Amino acid sequence: MFGFFKKFRKKSPWILHYNTGSCNGCDIEIMACLGPKYDLERFGIINKGNPKQADILLVTGPVTKRARARLLRLYMQMPEPKVVVAVGACACTGGVFRHMYNVENGIDRFIPVDVYIPGCAARPENIIEGIKKAIEIWERKQKEKVEVPKVLKEIPDVETLDRREIISKLEEKYSERLVIEEDEK
Amino acid sequence: MKGILFTFALLSPIIGGLIYGLERKFKARMQNRQGPPILQPFYDFFKLTDKRALQVHSFHSLMGIAFFVAAWFAVFALLIGPNILIAIFLHVLALLFFTAGGFSVKSPYSVMGALRELAHILAAEPILVFAAIALYLSTGSWNIEGILTSNTVPILQMPLLFCALVLTVPILLKRSPFDISEAHQEIIGGAEIEYSGLFYEAVYTAKWLEYIFIGVIVFLFGGSNYLLGALLVAATFLFVWLLDNATTRLTIHYMMKFAWGILLPLAAFNIFWVAIWR
Amino acid sequence: MIAAEILASILLPWISALVIYVLNNHRVSVFLTVLNFVILTIIGLHLWFSVNNPITLHPPHLVDWLLLVYDYGLLLYFFKQGIENRNPLVSVLAVIQIFLLSWVVLIRPHSEVPNIYIDKLTVFMYLIVGFVGSLITLFATRYMQDENPVREGEFVAILVWFLGVMNFIVSVNNIEWFFALFETTTLASYLLIRFRGDTVSVNNALLALWMNQIGGITILLALLFAIHKYGITHFSQFGEHTQLALFPLAFLSAAALVKGAQMPFHRWLLGAMVAPTPVSAILHSATMVKVAPYLILRLSPFIKGTLLAKLIVVFTGFVFVVTALLALNETHFKRILAYSTISLLSLMMLAGTIGTPITITVALMLIAFHAVAKALLFLEAGVLEKRYHAKTIYDLKHIINKAPLTVFFILVGFLSMTMVPFAMFVAKWLMISEMSELLSKASYIITVAILAIGGAILTVLYLKILGLTINRDEESFRVKIEKLPSLYTIPNVIYVVLILIATLFINTFLVYFFAPITQSIIGYIPPFCEGLSVCIKNLQLPFWQIIIAFFFVVFFPIIAHYIHFKTDRTAEYSCGEPVKPRISTYNMVCLNKVSTYFESISLALFVLVLVIGGGML
Ligand code: SF4
Repeated sequence: MFGFFKKFRKKSPWILHYNTGSCNGCDIEIMACLGPKYDLERFGIINKGNPKQADILLVTGPVTKRARARLLRLYMQMPEPKVVVAVGACACTGGVFRHMYNVENGIDRFIPVDVYIPGCAARPENIIEGIKKAIEIWERKQKEKVEVPKVLKEIPDVETLDRREIISKLEEKYSERLVIEEDEK
Repeated sequence: MKGILFTFALLSPIIGGLIYGLERKFKARMQNRQGPPILQPFYDFFKLTDKRALQVHSFHSLMGIAFFVAAWFAVFALLIGPNILIAIFLHVLALLFFTAGGFSVKSPYSVMGALRELAHILAAEPILVFAAIALYLSTGSWNIEGILTSNTVPILQMPLLFCALVLTVPILLKRSPFDISEAHQEIIGGAEIEYSGLFYEAVYTAKWLEYIFIGVIVFLFGGSNYLLGALLVAATFLFVWLLDNATTRLTIHYMMKFAWGILLPLAAFNIFWVAIWR
Repeated sequence: MIAAEILASILLPWISALVIYVLNNHRVSVFLTVLNFVILTIIGLHLWFSVNNPITLHPPHLVDWLLLVYDYGLLLYFFKQGIENRNPLVSVLAVIQIFLLSWVVLIRPHSEVPNIYIDKLTVFMYLIVGFVGSLITLFATRYMQDENPVREGEFVAILVWFLGVMNFIVSVNNIEWFFALFETTTLASYLLIRFRGDTVSVNNALLALWMNQIGGITILLALLFAIHKYGITHFSQFGEHTQLALFPLAFLSAAALVKGAQMPFHRWLLGAMVAPTPVSAILHSATMVKVAPYLILRLSPFIKGTLLAKLIVVFTGFVFVVTALLALNETHFKRILAYSTISLLSLMMLAGTIGTPITITVALMLIAFHAVAKALLFLEAGVLEKRYHAKTIYDLKHIINKAPLTVFFILVGFLSMTMVPFAMFVAKWLMISEMSELLSKASYIITVAILAIGGAILTVLYLKILGLTINRDEESFRVKIEKLPSLYTIPNVIYVVLILIATLFINTFLVYFFAPITQSIIGYIPPFCEGLSVCIKNLQLPFWQIIIAFFFVVFFPIIAHYIHFKTDRTAEYSCGEPVKPRISTYNMVCLNKVSTYFESISLALFVLVLVIGGGML
């Protein structure tokens, strides 16, 4: 039954693109991929911009401290099966920003990465190839297995997971708090 | 005729999906891209079935499903029911569930989208009602079979109203320049943002039904001349897709002004003129 | 027997009001209001089956004189109130009324026409007053326990007495009596609005007083003219003259328009919001404003098709759309309800004025179901105010987390006024279809536009408020259904059940309940067919559509409360920001700019109704 649906995965990967403080070079290359010249949509790829409906997370940038908690939150909000693609040298290792006081040197310290795309900036051809690789990995994944950020020590083992708890725990730990008061009235 | 209409209503999600696939293809070709295959919506559909379901709360998810069921029911009521006016109000009922879902979560984009959806209802519903009245006026029947077998061709009497209806289609389908409630780059889909997996599938499919709904109403303006009706539908959709590619999003105020200041008077004028003229 | 029943339905509320006032005891009040509810409903139902032809009664002449004396006393009381509260307008209007009344008394001919005239329309109003109104008084007993237990007797007594007045006013045939009772309803509303006694209440009460006095004056003018020209003193005599001048009819309709709080006079109904909530409930649903469509329906056979009717259609149509628009701008829950009442009253009067069998039926359906829905909503407004301290729609945010049952009732109340397949929707749908029918004969052409636009606005208005209430953050099955005092819940449950039953069996109601009333008003019966599907001529609303749509609107919200999908739960998307969102809704401040224009235009239209419709040009 589900084997039947699995076949269609590769035909409809929806992506979510998150910029964790990059120089925008890689982002522009991603946009170029989606544009008429490289036309990723011919593979059924659309940029959903919404973690809940996305399958592939494209991350650019070296993960600034402000972006940390957001990245984790977005990752947790994506439903399994999902894959993560680190686009550009920054996202892979920190790139030119490596060892700066405000960055975390790449996303794989926080979330499991499936495909690394090198280059500063990553070339569109590379990105397309990387996404192709990501789709191959994605096809092998199971929806039953919950994937959580690397930083989480204990991996929850329940049928139905309340992700809000995990998210708020992560947020407590990793956010540079930017307090925005809630006023109700 | 009843059998055909019933089968059509039964198959309407599939046909709607095909139209959506065509739309994506056409739009891609207009931008000189290759575009996704025509069956792409169904691939998306199958993929969504196989995703792990996430939800904010069950009320919200249920409203998504209710939207799909009610939208399908509205299509049924339009195609086999005895009264197209009722079908139009049933369509509003379906949108009620959609907005209720949007309102029910504490998510800024979702609530914003639901609020904008209300503006869409406000802008588009009177024109749809006018369209039904116009069909009645020229064919003398509220019944789809009566309209399809009458020997008048409504568009010949109602050209202005038809123009207004065509310009309402972007409002109903949420296509640029009136994709305000969906606004993908701005509020990321609006009221549909919090759905995922199976529940998003329901909303995604319900949106295909909108093509059928509006397409059938446009088709009826051909009266018993089915070729003309098909041509009208094709022309309308092509026009809307071209418009979608060629324009940018307008603000909600502009949409209301446009719908109430231009489209409504146009439609009303046409109806009144026909009523007085004969 | 029938005469005794009629007498009972008029006098029972008066007597029980007196007892409640004198004893001022909670238990007695509850007992008497329940008694009123039961007896008035039973009498109404029995009368419904026994009054097939109009019944006339001749009360003794003594009543005539008593009413006259009472009338003078009432007007003097108004005069005194004007002086006491330093409101010269009220006093001046009272003096004018006294003058006109004396003139009427001087020139009125002696007539043997029966003063009491009971037909199905009257019994229909009895049923609404008895069923809907009594339940509000029952609610009021508990409400006053929360508000001011000492004055409970006084408050409930006025409400119950109001029911008696209402029952009386719909039974009279004599226009002079009608005037007396018209002013009595004004008095009752005046007392109720100023009940809290603070400055705002008193000012609003005086506003209501002088606006309604204008209605009284127009009745007297109409009566004077009718007596002078035709010797008409009773409603039933209008039918005897074929070539009637429109002047008296126009002025009587104007009285209806004032009572119905149509646009230039809408402020009194909005001002009535300062009173305790049961007052609004009773003014909006069963009594007071319902005099307006009642009067229009009484006059409808005589004004149908005239220039006056057309002007009233234009005027009420304008008010229908405009008040619906202005309601979008309001934030106060009760004021929104008030605007929507005004809007729907104009629709009722519009339908009544057009006067074809179907539109009359539509007007009746709107009167009945609007009464139930508005009573329900205002009682819920009272509950919200007393239990959850919610007055504006912004206080209603997330209220579903605390009060799912209340939200469900509000939902039924709102949706029943606009959504398929509720009874009021059926009424609107019949109306649009009938207007399209007339449109194809090129008469009343703008009404379809009015209906389509106004309907859409009202839909959006209700959805806007519902949206705020259902915003939630918790799984619904975790939310307990709230416990409310039983006197709060019982009336609401009865209303909801009535609405739901009427929705499912709407055609039965149409055929056996509304169609006979239409017949008694204009003489012929709309051609509804038997069975559960609504169908009439080429219109059809099949039962399967009703029942499926009913399932959607009623059962989906109920199921939604209990259903629980076993899946992962996640937080709302907020761009990854840990921001707690706050929600709000449109306020439509852009309408503020135009509201004064709306008022001026409606004033102009009102004057047109009087001047041109009254044949003075
Ligand atoms: S990898 Fe280079 S181009 Fe890409 S974000 Fe980093 S610095 Fe910019």
